[in-house]
Amino acid sequence: MGPLIPNDIIPFEWSSIIAIIIGIFFGFILEASGFSSSRKLAGVFYGYDFAVLKVFFTAALVSLIGLLYMDYLGYLDMSSLYVHPTYTWAAIIGGAIMGIGFVAGGFCPGTSLCAVAIGKIDAIIYVIGIMVGVFIFSELYSIFEPIYTSYFYGNITLVDSLGVDPYWFVFLFTIAAIIIFVLADIIRKRVKKVFY
Amino acid sequence: MINRKLVKFLSFRYVILALIFIILAGGLVLIPKFEKQEGITPEELLSNIISPERYMTTDELAERIINQDPSLLLIDLRDEKTFKKYTLPNAINIPLKNLFNEDSAAFINQDEFDVIFYSNDNFDADQAWILCNRLGYKNLRVLKGGINTWFKTIINPPKPKEHMQNKAFELYSFRKAASMYFGVVYPDQVKTNTPKPIQTAPKKVIPVKKKKKMPVEGGC
Repeated sequence: MGPLIPNDIIPFEWSSIIAIIIGIFFGFILEASGFSSSRKLAGVFYGYDFAVLKVFFTAALVSLIGLLYMDYLGYLDMSSLYVHPTYTWAAIIGGAIMGIGFVAGGFCPGTSLCAVAIGKIDAIIYVIGIMVGVFIFSELYSIFEPIYTSYFYGNITLVDSLGVDPYWFVFLFTIAAIIIFVLADIIRKRVKKVFY
Repeated sequence: MINRKLVKFLSFRYVILALIFIILAGGLVLIPKFEKQEGITPEELLSNIISPERYMTTDELAERIINQDPSLLLIDLRDEKTFKKYTLPNAINIPLKNLFNEDSAAFINQDEFDVIFYSNDNFDADQAWILCNRLGYKNLRVLKGGINTWFKTIINPPKPKEHMQNKAFELYSFRKAASMYFGVVYPDQVKTNTPKPIQTAPKKVIPVKKKKKMPVEGGC
């Protein structure tokens, strides 16, 4: 059966339309859960609001468990799913830059666009900043290229590189996630409440 | 009115959600493992089997051998003894039982060559074809009729009857030419080299000219 588009169950031409529909829903839910507030997003780093952590961890768990069940029951072929290629150092450096931007600005790229949609001025400036960053990166690409394209490990997943049983991995990951949720709650109770 | 029971229940909602997660993830660990199907889906295999593309006729094969097609890889599935007796030019011998040995995988599992299976008829070759196709190997074909048909058509082509169509004669002449390529000799093609009587070449008499004495020129 699935994945639907690579297996021609849904024609490839529909992919952009489906992406737009999913994007609209994603943006709506981000906005509805208050993710277009930079205070809520930055709260993870200051320890007064862990909604972002919980939402994204839960989303990852739900999709991971769901995918594995669907793969087990034969509704989905996990091997034909797209796995993003791994470039170690590019990912580490890019992740650090994005993390700094996240703490400093209070948005990640997705939520910043969400906040632009509801007319937040700081988000507009943030997005302009992203554009400037993209421009600088493209202009200086020849300098960054060696880092950007080296340390390539192919389309690997954690399960591949660690060589563990995916089911056990997901089980331990779930338990780790729940422990992290509990810890986050404890931290939140200790930190002075912030009103926003 | 506040439903107190519901409120009490909902105060545990995160614990309940966490339990659901653990149960679902634990279920993944506990479900019985089964071997996943490798290779292509049954539907795909069926459509490949029905497709007439999987057969190659002896005529087509002969033409490609004669044209020295570099993309051809002939695989003889018979045992070694019969392979040594007769086989097609440049064929590789992989008996059916050795088909999935490590060293034969390199020949079959690739997509550069057109792999052509054959055996005495196409029974063994069909088996090999289905097994390999199931594993998703590419560019596999079966020689229709195998070596038996090869003998009947290419090596020993039947002469067409007088009333037959022109095409049959064309095919016959092609097959005859092909069989000559593969080393068959026809009586009308054989040159009768009756030894010619050795003719003794008439002796040529070359008169040796006597050197004229040069007149003495000048000098002392």
